Amino acid sequence: MSESLSAIPSGVRYYFGREAHLRRAIEHAAMSIFKAWSYEEITPPSVDYYSLFERGMGSVEAQDAFRFTDTDGKLLALRPDVTSGIARAAATLMAKRERPLRFSYAAPVFRLRAESHAEWRRESTQIGCELIGRNGCAADTEVLLIAVEILSSLGLDGSYAITINDLEVFNGIVGRLGLDAPAQEKLRELVDTHNAGDLERFLASYASTEECASFAQLVKLSGRGEVFQNARRVITNDRSVTALDRLEALWGVIDSLGLSAHFEVDLGDVSRLDYYTGLIFKIYVAGVGMRVGSGGRYDQLTANFGKAEPAVGFVLDLDALAEAMRANESISRLGEVAERTAALIMDEDPAVLFREALRKRERGDRVVINLKRDLIP
Amino acid sequence: MTNLTIAIAKGRLQAEALALLARAGLRLPDEARLSRRLAIEDESGRYRFIFVKPADVPVYVEHGIADCGIVGRDVLLESEADLLQPLTLEIGRCRIVVAAPDSNLSDGFGMLRVATKYPRIAAKYFGEHGQPVEIIELSGSVELAPVLGLADCIVDLVETGATLRENGLQIVEVIAKSSARFVVNRASYQLKANFVSSLLEALREANEDRKA
Repeated sequence: MSESLSAIPSGVRYYFGREAHLRRAIEHAAMSIFKAWSYEEITPPSVDYYSLFERGMGSVEAQDAFRFTDTDGKLLALRPDVTSGIARAAATLMAKRERPLRFSYAAPVFRLRAESHAEWRRESTQIGCELIGRNGCAADTEVLLIAVEILSSLGLDGSYAITINDLEVFNGIVGRLGLDAPAQEKLRELVDTHNAGDLERFLASYASTEECASFAQLVKLSGRGEVFQNARRVITNDRSVTALDRLEALWGVIDSLGLSAHFEVDLGDVSRLDYYTGLIFKIYVAGVGMRVGSGGRYDQLTANFGKAEPAVGFVLDLDALAEAMRANESISRLGEVAERTAALIMDEDPAVLFREALRKRERGDRVVINLKRDLIP
Repeated sequence: MTNLTIAIAKGRLQAEALALLARAGLRLPDEARLSRRLAIEDESGRYRFIFVKPADVPVYVEHGIADCGIVGRDVLLESEADLLQPLTLEIGRCRIVVAAPDSNLSDGFGMLRVATKYPRIAAKYFGEHGQPVEIIELSGSVELAPVLGLADCIVDLVETGATLRENGLQIVEVIAKSSARFVVNRASYQLKANFVSSLLEALREANEDRKA
């Protein structure tokens, strides 16, 4: 039983050369912007109790984690997300700190996915931030603006779109149907895939014609400010209307900042009902088929760790960002390594050689030592 | 520069899909239609068509290489790709069924052997019914499997049922009705919203005509 030495497990890979350099530069650009918005960098443990992730991500998502046991038999996991660890720290280690808490991170996460989909990777680097302890339009706007600044600093202006939605619009309509959990999940899936045809058939047995009409609108309502007017015509229950008010207020702020060209409202985005509680957003970049990032409000999360408080944040996928920059030819934006030509240094005497190398390094020059096989015995 | 790339499933669905697109105003030049090229532009130059095997349509669209595509629901169920499906088309109607030589599937020996081109659909269906099965994946002529004793039953697509009858099989259960779907990549849906929504509108009209 031995693998060939060149084989590596599926779903993981090496990064080197220009790509590694680009990834480091993107990470640096994003972390500098977080820092400039007063977000404190935090790195949770890479290995933690499996139960942490069950609490933080929900038991279904947590099943993706690579698991193993500690010496005392407790179940451990290689972290499949960063947010769980931060939420626990906020509720415990930093329970007494003044609110709001602002955290940022750039760290690899690991998921034991089966091979199949477009986004199939088992190790990926998440870059993200969390704003904990405040809710409302201002907190939501703050994290969205940070996302905008990061995308813009990567030279992606004009090539990205951020969709926003408030899950309570969907929850308000579903609440009136009294569906059991499997039926609700089926409904969520149909709305999320904008599958108008099957949705109509599915609803016929549960809902009045009027309610069918509001759902039909959910999957068609994607666009700019006009979405709100159209939505209000067919969606009238209190819970949904409160959510529409909240979302429209956020849209108003975005619009008044002159940023609405980068944004779209998508009332049919209901991808994570079990996690997000209000605002949910997705980030897409031209030339990249998959999502580059996502985020939203998760006001229930820290309650799982014993201290209920509002929280909002987002995460960007480093590989997807690198892919986006390559597709949009904006790589030069990061001043691709001050690529100075290296001074090739050689000398028979190592002392002379390295004295010269040190002098060049002091001046800031790049050096490459010509290590001949027999140069240093 | 084309506005949208559309992936079309070759084979069973291709002619109907192109006829539907033509009614929606997307016409292919005659010489292109007769050629063997796998990527061609429509007359307006605004749309590029790529012709790929049905199972590859979700792959091209999920990766965003094609912005949208036309493919059967059977293929989507099997692929489990994460795509938007904003429009059910009135073409490529068929059923996904369980068929066997005898309408009584179980002979009392427990494990059922199922031959199919759709292992995921079959596993999901029998799993939901608590029926233990052994799935034998084949790539064609599935009807032969029960006749020769490779399997007890099959899970396959049926249009008219003629092939089943000729091979002495009958439909035991209809798992799902299938017809073609218009699918869209999630990123394209947002980033090319104008192009996608105008194509969607044109297709919806052409599709309604067909329905009427």
